[in-house]
Amino acid sequence: MSNSVISVVSRFLEEYTSTTPNKLKVVDSYLLYILLTGALQFLYCLLVGTFPFNSFLSGFISCVGSFILAVCLRIQINPQNKGDFLSISPERAFADFLFAHTVLHLVVMNFIG
Amino acid sequence: MERSRLLGWFLLNLALAGAQALTPAHHLSLPDVARLQSLLSQQFTDLESAYHSVVGLTKLGAAVPDHDHVCQFLKSQLDPTSVDSVFFAAETSQAISGCEIPVSNETRDILLAAVSEDSTMAQIHRAVSALSSLGLPVVSQEVVVSVWLTARLSQQAELGGILEEIEDLTARLDDLGGIYLQFEEGLEATAMFVTAAYSLSDHVDMEPPLKEDQVIQLVNSIFSKKSWDSLAEAFSVASAAAALSSNRFHVPVIVSAHGPATVSHSQPTLQLLVTDVMSQPLASANVLVESAYAVASKSVILSQASFTLNDGVYELNFMSTQPASGYYQFTIAVTGDSRLVANHVELKVKVSTEVAITSMDLSVVDKDQSIGTKTTRVDYPSKAKSSFIADSHQNFAMSFQLVDVNTGVELTPHQTFVRLHNQKTGQEVVFVAEPDSKSLYKFELDTAERKSEFDSISGTYSLCLIVGDATLENPILWNVADVVLKFVDEEAPATIQSKTLYVPKPEIQHLFREPEKKPPTVVSNTFTALVLSPFLLLLILWFKLGANISSFSFSPSTILFHVGHAATLGLMYVYWTHLNMFQTLKYLAFIGGVTFLAGNRMLAQKAVKRIAAEQSSRLAKYRSLR
Repeated sequence: MSNSVISVVSRFLEEYTSTTPNKLKVVDSYLLYILLTGALQFLYCLLVGTFPFNSFLSGFISCVGSFILAVCLRIQINPQNKGDFLSISPERAFADFLFAHTVLHLVVMNFIG
Repeated sequence: MERSRLLGWFLLNLALAGAQALTPAHHLSLPDVARLQSLLSQQFTDLESAYHSVVGLTKLGAAVPDHDHVCQFLKSQLDPTSVDSVFFAAETSQAISGCEIPVSNETRDILLAAVSEDSTMAQIHRAVSALSSLGLPVVSQEVVVSVWLTARLSQQAELGGILEEIEDLTARLDDLGGIYLQFEEGLEATAMFVTAAYSLSDHVDMEPPLKEDQVIQLVNSIFSKKSWDSLAEAFSVASAAAALSSNRFHVPVIVSAHGPATVSHSQPTLQLLVTDVMSQPLASANVLVESAYAVASKSVILSQASFTLNDGVYELNFMSTQPASGYYQFTIAVTGDSRLVANHVELKVKVSTEVAITSMDLSVVDKDQSIGTKTTRVDYPSKAKSSFIADSHQNFAMSFQLVDVNTGVELTPHQTFVRLHNQKTGQEVVFVAEPDSKSLYKFELDTAERKSEFDSISGTYSLCLIVGDATLENPILWNVADVVLKFVDEEAPATIQSKTLYVPKPEIQHLFREPEKKPPTVVSNTFTALVLSPFLLLLILWFKLGANISSFSFSPSTILFHVGHAATLGLMYVYWTHLNMFQTLKYLAFIGGVTFLAGNRMLAQKAVKRIAAEQSSRLAKYRSLR
């Protein structure tokens, strides 16, 4: 049973490293980074308590929001999805990504206290 | 200041103003007259105060001491060139007998010259008064009058017309709550107005156009002030008092009870003082009770009974009609002089009596009525010989009657209390004894029911009866008997704590908000480092992937974009530390706009480059395929 899981995972990783273009791998590493940051924040909150609850929330929401925006960016710049996003060039996707981040960080900074 | 005091009185008297005819609320009582006299008898230092003193005292009917000294003073202080000085001296010399002020021709000419159109009213008045007091001929009446009239009043040339001016002046008086009428200039002006109005009316023998109510209101205003600021004010009040007591048309009457308005068997006559505003007895007056009715039952008890004059006091033997005790409303009329004003007065008279307690019966009744009751009779003021014992199975009962000593009528006074006082602990409990339909008072003490009031403390209680009322002359506090009460569930006899109302209360400790429990700094720091560590991981991954900035073109839009972007991130930090949302939005609008434009430019350039690269690669592929 575990054998098959390991083989599936290793197969997946192999295919990933070979077929994914570099640009997407850059974005994927960024996604991993955001994920780890959010997970660590959550762990801290579980361990120590929610004392400055607003700070915890703003930090966590920032991670979640950034993750979502990065995923959107990845979808939009993936050449395989070009057919779905005919009117949106990668540059446009990046510009949207930046604008949305500005708004997100404005809110996060307001809430961080 | 005066007005605020008057307003205070207004509020107090508003309830009384009611529907009754207006009667004077203030007048000069004998002590007031004495005080006025002593103020006017002060040593005078100049002619004006001499005038006020001497003439004022004369108006009050008091004797002026030492006429010669006054006369010498007048002669020495006289300034023959001043109209005012001559006026004061002349008027004062008129008031005291045997004093002649020598007047020279120059003085006379000065006085006559003052009677002209250029002079003020006061100057004309003083000049003419001086001339007439000194016995000098005033040029002619008509000249004086016409000068006076053209200078001040309407075109009418007859003296009687001036009387109507009184009506105009009266309209200028301020009405305070229907009780006071006075000029806003103050007491002195009001008093001098009254004096002038009545002296003018007397002179022309025509009734002044003042209504009765207005006269009374003027009386209230003038005599409400009982201490006077200046000699001039005292003089004006004295003049007004003299005018109101002895003019030919309106004489306000003051009716007041001599002592308390109470009548009883020991004091059967109702005594009244009927005077004028200066507390002088009226020359001729008949005092009559028009009707008297009991306040409680509204039945008329007396009608058209006249008072008899006895040594300056009007008396009526009210007890001869044998009134029951209580309050009676009298309507009193003073007749005999057509000038009298406010001569119908309402007076409340109290008839008091003495009470006696009869048939005081005490008994201890068993609750289940199995044992017959034993009734003990006690006579006032002795005490029952043996004490009564009542425990929770028994009731203690008391009954008595209250009668009027003189008439034998049963009474129901306001206060009939039964007080039980524990001799040992000092506790006292008070109950009310209620009369039944036959005016027989009954009191029953159910030991079981009432134990909470006694705090269940058994012991000997002394029983007292308290009887009181406003119309009783002999209130009673009578220790009737001793009662031993036995309660069940007796708690340990606690000493009665005195009322702890005024003892300092326990202090409230304020609990400040506890700061939240924070984790130790070590933990926080560790986690801060942990949270920042994925960034390192990111950099390592990017390096491994070969992400680089080799295609960084140094065009102005690129640089501007990056600078703008960095500025936005910096603004976020500054927002966190210093700014509020509005300021941030302001800066962000500016920086964001710049960044957007530059970024747009930069990305467009990149897009162009990318499309060109794609096209060239496609071209190369196509070529290789061929």
